[in-house]
Amino acid sequence: MDTLSPLRLWMMRAVFLLLALILLFFHLLPIETQPVALFQVDLLPPLASIDPAEARLRDLLNQSGARYLIAPDFLIAFAFAWSVRRPDYVPAVLLCAIFLLTDLLLQRPPGLWALLALIACENLKLRGRTLRDSSFGPEWVAVTIWLFAILLLNRIVLSLVLVPRPDLKLSLIELALTVLIYPVVVLITHVFMGVRKATPGDFDSIGGRA
Amino acid sequence: MAIDRSSSNDFGRPLRRIMMAVLILLLFGVFLLWRIDSPRVERFRAQITDRIVPNLDWAMAPVTGAVNLLRDYQSYQRLTVQNQELRSELRKMQTWKEAALQLEQENARLLDLNKVRLDPRLTYITGVVLADSGSPFRQSVLLNVGARDGIVEGWATVDGIGLVGRISGVGQDTARVILVTDTSSRIPATIQPSGQRAIIAGDNSSAPPIDFLENPDLVRPGDRVISSGDGGVFPAGLLIGQVAADPGGRLRVRLAADFERLEFLRVLRDHGAETVTEGGSVILDGRLPAVAPAIPVPPGE
Repeated sequence: MDTLSPLRLWMMRAVFLLLALILLFFHLLPIETQPVALFQVDLLPPLASIDPAEARLRDLLNQSGARYLIAPDFLIAFAFAWSVRRPDYVPAVLLCAIFLLTDLLLQRPPGLWALLALIACENLKLRGRTLRDSSFGPEWVAVTIWLFAILLLNRIVLSLVLVPRPDLKLSLIELALTVLIYPVVVLITHVFMGVRKATPGDFDSIGGRA
Repeated sequence: MAIDRSSSNDFGRPLRRIMMAVLILLLFGVFLLWRIDSPRVERFRAQITDRIVPNLDWAMAPVTGAVNLLRDYQSYQRLTVQNQELRSELRKMQTWKEAALQLEQENARLLDLNKVRLDPRLTYITGVVLADSGSPFRQSVLLNVGARDGIVEGWATVDGIGLVGRISGVGQDTARVILVTDTSSRIPATIQPSGQRAIIAGDNSSAPPIDFLENPDLVRPGDRVISSGDGGVFPAGLLIGQVAADPGGRLRVRLAADFERLEFLRVLRDHGAETVTEGGSVILDGRLPAVAPAIPVPPGE
């Protein structure tokens, strides 16, 4: 099989890097500048009763309404999906660089989340051989467990070193959305990016290449 | 097949383990370094952001524009109604404008009579919002002005109406603004007309709570919250918002600035209040050195 020629290998690595940068780009777009309004309470008394003119002005200015959308963490979902399927497309160095860059640009404590995500990806790569042979169910369970573990370990370490932790409710919503979106991510990975589980024939070519 | 697996493992494993150990140590080291020497790593973060984000501007601007266009589409649908409302608002505003102009002239005359000297150095730099924080957990935006334009950490940032946040993290061409809604934002404020001092502590909601209020009984919903200038970080008198209560009875600020769409922000230059460092020369005549350090205190952190 020529799917694992060095050219294709490096091309797919470049594709993953590009994918990560595009996801980061959409994270950074300056369109979500207000807090998420999910747990917001209505303020008393309503503005209209204190200051009707101000209330009307706000109403006119208010165009798109409150922000309810929380994006799932696509980057980690894609990293997991690729790690399970083709470990050699996402080498640890690449993952490490991308996660660290994400940490730096998204205002997280640098290094910690990247470390946990990297460990999770490497573990999934190791277990990928068994996950690959089975159906999608066990893979989804493993991914969910790792996502939860990352969240929990992140919070534990942050509280150990006395750093303010991110809001738990938002984190849990993000986690749930990421878990729900994972099958879609896998589908996209499989169909559009052509990153598929290695068949026994491919192992020969890996061995041959190594 | 089983033999193939083990053979492919044998080649890669030791190298991979060493590599993993190095990477893990590296990442953990970065985290520890950040925890120990946060300012240095944050400066590094600002530099990285400075290097990367302005380069994306050419792509971000059209995409942001397209998204905003889609959002505006909703408001286009009620354009006529809005137009009528705006016209009636405008008529009312004109009467207010007349009143304001008269008051301003009167105020100027009174200030002149009293020989009051207002801060002449309060000028501003306007920047365009390049990027937001990228996650729902942090509330900050990145401006396209930086150290090159003389931006200094701690300066206040306002939109046309009210306080938006303060500068935290300056790169060569970019500066990060921590919004007042962010969990790490603490703004000393005064509540008018009672003059109560308080801290506006962001909590990642759109109406930050009012902390450390001396006497909540003197504060009524609808009172204006302005920055107090305590701590020398901000100029005093910037409008923050109005007092409101949540159903739990806690006082919060309904922010005046429009956080829904931050596009252009003004960074107010603040050169800090000069502090009086020498003793009174009349009382302590001759006992202190004549040359006193007349250095303005840099805007504090």
